[in-house]
Amino acid sequence: MKRWLIWTSISVGSLLIIGFVGLSFMAGSPKDALAMVRFALPHMHVGNLKPGDSAPDVRLVALDGKTRFRLHERTQQRPLVLIFGSFT
Amino acid sequence: MGEIIQIYNDYKDRADFLTIYIREAHPLDEWQMKSNEKDKDNVCYVQPKTLEQRINIANDFTQRFKFPLPFGVDEMNDAANNAYAAWPERLYIIDETGRISYKGGNGPFKYDPKEVRAWLAQRYGDVTHAGS
Repeated sequence: MKRWLIWTSISVGSLLIIGFVGLSFMAGSPKDALAMVRFALPHMHVGNLKPGDSAPDVRLVALDGKTRFRLHERTQQRPLVLIFGSFT
Repeated sequence: MGEIIQIYNDYKDRADFLTIYIREAHPLDEWQMKSNEKDKDNVCYVQPKTLEQRINIANDFTQRFKFPLPFGVDEMNDAANNAYAAWPERLYIIDETGRISYKGGNGPFKYDPKEVRAWLAQRYGDVTHAGS
């Protein structure tokens, strides 16, 4: 029973280490791998929206920092291409 | 971003475009990327904590790249980002009836402006303005 437990711990431990090393290579360095797990994963979602769903009408701020407008104000007679992103 | 600007120039007479600036993907205080430091543009920012900081970065971006597309900034509650599962980057097309017609994969690996161009080309025909 004890032996079984030891071997299980060793296997799980090795898998975790292999996973982390692999992620480090993928992301660039161990620091990047940690940052990816800590900051990226919580924000990465597929979301529930599908083609055919009505587009959520969110409120946005114009570049002047004061004017607010709603997304649906921009969907009038023509299709609207949305580009979500940030600088970095 | 160059490819998006090209698509905008080619189709802006037929479709509307809106860029939505959401929370930073690789700020200094979170997951900073070496490529952002090496970049000649030196894009290093901390994650904005106030709307004013977010607006400032958005303005830096549009001015530095002379970015021609209409622009909107997500509120600090990340309402647009959350509603559209947008982070770190994602493309959508909403049709005239306000329904989602196209939902792109999330970036950086599944983010593909070519799919947007294909959607527009299917509807309006191929448009390419030389030199635009």
